[in-house]
Amino acid sequence: MDPQHVISSGIIELYTAGIASEKEIKELEAAMAQFPEVAAEVAAYQRAMEAYVQMQSLTPDPQAKSFVFSNLNNQTIMQENTLTPDPSAPIVSIERPKGARWKWIASVAAVLLLFSLVLNYVFFNRYKIFKEYKDKYESLLLSQNSILSKSNLYKARLEQMQESMNVIQDPKVLKVTMPGTKAFPTALATVFWNRESQQVYLKVNNLPEPAADKQYQLWAIVDGKPVDMGVFEMGDTVNLLQKMKITGKAQMFAVTLEKKGGAASPTMEQMYVAGKIPG
Amino acid sequence: MGTTLTYTEVELVQGLSTRDEKVFTYLYDHYSPALYGVALKVLGEEAAAGDVLQEVFVKIWRNIDRYDPSKGRLFTWMLNITRNTAIDSLRSKNHKLDQKVTDVNSASLMYEPQLAVHLSVDHLGLSKVIERLQKDQRIIIDLAYFKGHTQEEIAKSLEIPLGTVKTRMRNAIIQLRTLLKQL
Repeated sequence: MDPQHVISSGIIELYTAGIASEKEIKELEAAMAQFPEVAAEVAAYQRAMEAYVQMQSLTPDPQAKSFVFSNLNNQTIMQENTLTPDPSAPIVSIERPKGARWKWIASVAAVLLLFSLVLNYVFFNRYKIFKEYKDKYESLLLSQNSILSKSNLYKARLEQMQESMNVIQDPKVLKVTMPGTKAFPTALATVFWNRESQQVYLKVNNLPEPAADKQYQLWAIVDGKPVDMGVFEMGDTVNLLQKMKITGKAQMFAVTLEKKGGAASPTMEQMYVAGKIPG
Repeated sequence: MGTTLTYTEVELVQGLSTRDEKVFTYLYDHYSPALYGVALKVLGEEAAAGDVLQEVFVKIWRNIDRYDPSKGRLFTWMLNITRNTAIDSLRSKNHKLDQKVTDVNSASLMYEPQLAVHLSVDHLGLSKVIERLQKDQRIIIDLAYFKGHTQEEIAKSLEIPLGTVKTRMRNAIIQLRTLLKQL
């Protein structure tokens, strides 16, 4: 390609006026890159066109400037938040119509808000149901615990009763009824004595509740001498058979009221019940 | 404008690439009248031209990295952006208006005295150049440059053969350049 030919062909004038065809534009731009004189000629025509355009300048409304700059600030913020535009896209088509972007953002925001509200509603309902179930669960757990503890209590009682029954029903066990003495005629207690294991059990049938610093004490009378069989509790335990100490021999059992913890020898005036071993 | 420049084109491009607002302010102050003039010439309506001007500066700001100095000066590049944006806007508008006004009519309308916005420009010497340019030369340049018409469209508008469009356009541009050289 001859640069002079390009210059004299008229293509530069058409290019400058903006009516060159796509093919002509490509050819000319290639020539501009190749031949500085072509580029210079194009530049000269462009300057002429610039001057012509500039003759028709008109200062825009001063307000336009502030619009441009506020628009730019928005654009800059937007751009930082979005992907960089595709550099190969044509200049003319890159800009979305003004407002469309905001409309788009607004509609997305509205959809998100709606979505969020729906989710809020759904999750709040779920939470309410969950809370209801949680409360129910907690109260069930509580009642189950109380049932369990009651059941344990009954089980323990039952076991103790079973044990008492076993003791009483054992044919080797001797039952010694201790009626009240002259001083305490209504008092009554019973000793169950397993002569084989020598174990002594006591059942309180009727004894008055002692003072806080006093305790009843069971005695076995062996060959005329009192032998300590241990102190025992009153209260709820009176319903049960209480395990006392062991003794191989005894002619008689008696209960006295002693100081708390028991005494070494019985206080005879405070003897409530006494019973001889039959036979 | 050339004598009042405090930034060279290279400095302007660099300043724009680094998002220097000072440079952008300078750019606006110095180039917005010319760009606004183009938009107004294309659209013939101040509100629409103002909207296009907004868009143009955003495009300049965003696309400065795509400016290729080998294809022309920064000013030419900005003028082309303005032309393209304004012509696009005009086309979408004309489409909506169902093209009530024929192209010939709108072409002659541009030369009605009340629309001759260029008269307010202080470049009196340059204004004389326009006056000395023949009316049909101005019309053919303006149809191409400001209305974005193709050669075929110009031929149809002016009712001249396609080959004549090329010749006349060439002569008009050469005449323009010659007149400007005389200043």
